[in-house]
This record gives sequence, C-alpha cells and structure tokens, in this order.
Amino acid sequence: MNPSAISLVNVSKRYGPKEIIKNISFEVMPGEILGFLGPNGAGKTTTIKMIAGTTTATSGTVSVKGLDMSTQQELGAKKIGYLPEHPPLYDVFQVKGYLHFIARAKKVPKKRVKQSLDQVISACKLEKVTKSEIYKLSKGYRQRLGLAQALIGDPEVLLLDEPTSGLDPGQIQETRDVIKQCGVKQSVLLSTHILTEVTLLCARVAIINEGKLLAIDTPSGLRQASEQSNRVSLLVSGNVENLKIALKEIDDIQKVDVFKQDKDKVLIVCHLNSNNDTENIIAKLATEKTKLYQLERHGPTLENVFLQYIKKGKNSKEKK
Amino acid sequence: MNGLLAIYSKELITYFRSPIAYFLISSFLVGTGYFYIYNVFSTGTATMEMTFRDMAFLLMVLTPVLTMRIFSGEYSGKTMELLIALPISTWQIVIGKYLGAVTILLIMTAATFVNLIPMFLYGNPHITNIISGYLGFILLGMASISIGQLYSALTKNQIVAALLTLPTLLGFWWVGHLQNMQTNLFFRELLGYLAFSFHYGDLIRGLLRSEAIAYYILVSMTSLILTTNYIKWRR
Repeated sequence: MNPSAISLVNVSKRYGPKEIIKNISFEVMPGEILGFLGPNGAGKTTTIKMIAGTTTATSGTVSVKGLDMSTQQELGAKKIGYLPEHPPLYDVFQVKGYLHFIARAKKVPKKRVKQSLDQVISACKLEKVTKSEIYKLSKGYRQRLGLAQALIGDPEVLLLDEPTSGLDPGQIQETRDVIKQCGVKQSVLLSTHILTEVTLLCARVAIINEGKLLAIDTPSGLRQASEQSNRVSLLVSGNVENLKIALKEIDDIQKVDVFKQDKDKVLIVCHLNSNNDTENIIAKLATEKTKLYQLERHGPTLENVFLQYIKKGKNSKEKK
Repeated sequence: MNGLLAIYSKELITYFRSPIAYFLISSFLVGTGYFYIYNVFSTGTATMEMTFRDMAFLLMVLTPVLTMRIFSGEYSGKTMELLIALPISTWQIVIGKYLGAVTILLIMTAATFVNLIPMFLYGNPHITNIISGYLGFILLGMASISIGQLYSALTKNQIVAALLTLPTLLGFWWVGHLQNMQTNLFFRELLGYLAFSFHYGDLIRGLLRSEAIAYYILVSMTSLILTTNYIKWRR
C-alpha cells in the first residue's frame, strides 16, 4: 500500500476546452509540510480542490490516505481539514456555534466535541471572540476561524490555501506556529505566495505554473539545482586590474564584474560555478596586494529560484 | 445521519438568525388571517375550503422567498465548498436543507391553527375536511419547496432562483386550465393530472385520494433527486 498521505498520479483537470491542470504527479508524506508555490492562476487552488474532493480530476488519480477522492470522497473527507482561499463562514452564526456545527458535521464523537473545540479555539487564539457573531469579526479573526474549522477533529491531512493572507505580522507568526505544530504529526499542503513562509515551514516545495509541476524538492535542493550562480562580492582598493586578471584565472569563476564605488574603492563581483571557492579568491587577494574592505557571499534566494522556474516555463512555451 | 442533522440544525439557525423566517411567518399569517376573515366571517360559513385555496396562492408567492437562499446563498457566500468537503454525502446535504425549509412550512401551517378556534366555538365544521385540507397544504408546500430548492441549486443568484421558482409554481398550479384547449383525451387527462390545483382541490374538499398524495410525493422526490444529482455533477 502507498504510504503517502496525499498522492496525485498523472492528474489533469479540464474546464471545457481549457486544460487547467496538466498531468501532474506528486506525493506528500505523513508528517511533512509541502509548500505549494505558483503565481496567480497557476492551478494551485484547483489542485487543492481536487485533493479536498470538492472537484474531480478529469483524468488521473487523487488519493488521500489511500482513498480515491473521486469515488471515496466521503471517507476521504474524514481525514482532511480544509481551509479554502476564502474562509467558508456563516455570518449569522456565533463563533462557537459555527465550530460546533463543523464538529457535528465532521462526526466528532459527542464526548470529544467540547475538548476538540477548546483545543482549536486555544490554538487559533479565538478565546476573546467565541460569543461574537461572525459578521462582526475582523479579517484576521475570520482567517483564524477558517483555520480553526480545518483543525477540528484532528484531521490527518491539512489543506491550507493561503492561510496567512490578510493577517497582521503578529497573527502571521502565530498562524505559522500553529501550522508548524500541525506538521509534526499531520501532513500539510500549504499553498502560499509568501516565499519566506515556505522557507520557514516547509520540508519540500512544489513549484507549479500554468497547470504544470515545474519542480519539487527541498528549499536547499532547489537552490542548489538552480542555474543561477553563487556570487562573491569584494570591496577593494589597490591594484584592481591585476586582481581582476588573477581572479579570472580561477577555474570556478565564470565571470568577473567590476563596479567603481568611490575615489579609490571598487566593487568586484565574481560569479561562481559552485559554492566553495572563496578560499582561492582570498588567496588571490593576498598575492595581489589589494586592500580588502568587505567580502560577501550571495547564494541564489528562493525568490530567484522561483522566478527562474516560472521564466523557464514561459520561455519553453514561447519556443514551442 | 449525524451529518443530516447537523445540516438541518444549521439551516434552522440560518433561518431564525436572519429576517427570512420572521418575514415569511408574519406575512403568511397576516395574509391567511385576512382571507380567513373574508371567507368565514363575511360569508358566515364554517368551512376552510376557500381559505385553503387562498393559502395555497400565498404559498406559491412566498415559497421562492423561502427557498431562494438554500443553495444560492451557499454559492455566493463561498460556503458550498465547505459543505462538499465535509464528510457528509450529497443527499444528506440536500435532505437536511429540505427538511429545514419544510420545518418553516410546518411552523407557518401550525400558526394558522389559531383560526380554527372561533370556527369550532361558533360553528360546526367538518373535522375530516380540515385535516385533509391541511395535509394537502403541507404536501403542496413540500412539493413547492423541492422545486424552489432545485432552482436554488442551479444558480448562485438568489433573485434569479426566486424569479424562476415563482412562474414554475404558478405554471404547475394553472397547467390544468390548458385542458380546455385539448381535444385529445390523453393530453386532457395528463394536463389535469399534472396540475397542483387538481389534486389540491380534491384534498381541501375532504377527498383523501392516494393518487393525490402520491403525486405530491413524486414531484418532491423527483426534484430532490435532480438537485442531488446536479450537485454531484457540479463537482
């Protein structure tokens, strides 16, 4: 049996003539937080909807804990906590009444309802508003209530579609803490635009654009696989021309750029093929008798990697 | 069953935490009271037959208001996705919501029992006719709600749902009038059989025919099955 919590195999989704999702496959393992990255309209929400069972795949198999979501949706739904892009709230309800309805609908045993409600209210910091009508809540509270309903019943799989949108920095931090805690025993698929969030929370990242899965790896793996080179920048003065020639002799350096900073200082940027040739650069600096003011290493950021994948996807489409 | 009950109680809370239930019940009572006074006191006859007929007309007008939000409200409030993602089957969602609206109908109906007090105090009405009439009214209401619910599932615009429900219900009421234009016996009978008013007329006169009861149940079931299948297909 497949041990994965979520599994998508050759999944496509078509709305009329338009193919929204194009043959994607990936897995989320138990206890893993997978970040789902992509620009607006990339197909993130549609993919999450297919996993939640609110829409069905045109072809391929979507399964949650081994249950096929197109034929065993009701059974699969018991294992899922789902926070859609817009928190699904009933404005006329009070916060506690709404959570109580969700607990009943999720078939939480009567004895455990109170405990379950107290847990999610505390985890999502909703204590102050339990008796408020939902229409009176601020956007931040609405988002947290949406997350609370997803957490009810201790689901094994959490599907979170932009859970921190509309929250202030303090609330974002609290929500991230909740997600991090969930990721210890639950499997989380986290769709977000915030790349820092992915770096902080996710063990692996999937990048999707125009319905195609472009990459899936750990954040560091993506950075390493990136074509964008590592850079070392040096702020120096002295015999710069000689230093430039000497640096170019180092095998690992692809390119050297020189930028004049002020009267005698110059910024030299070396583009490296790998991560580990800083020692050679320092050795050249010593031999060329230049004065070093600053040395900085720059690796490709996740933002750069993400943009690079998106750009690559677009270029290959244009070539076709 | 738990899921069905959860949906049912959610529906009732939604009706009573918004002005809909109060508006419907009060409008219905004011209308029924007016027709009752006009039909009973001004004519001096202790019969509910005419009042039942007028109540049916009121029902046709108010049903779209009762049913328009059932699914359209879920679509526009973006909560339908939540309902489908919950471990509840589609038929439980449909039946739970349907029973919520039927409960409002029953409350509306029960509130008119007050009209019977003076009738029994000062007159000698046929109790079987009244029971049969009320049964007919509830069956008519259940069929009308199921049609309204179907239209509500078809569109996310509540006004459109209401505007489609009203002419459909009136069409079902008046379709019997087309009988006069038909020379073919089969079509004459079919048009009569399809009319809400044809079966309702029997029931309010005290003719408790199984054919009439079966007709309303059939209409309700057909609409509910269509609604369930439409929502499943929509996924």
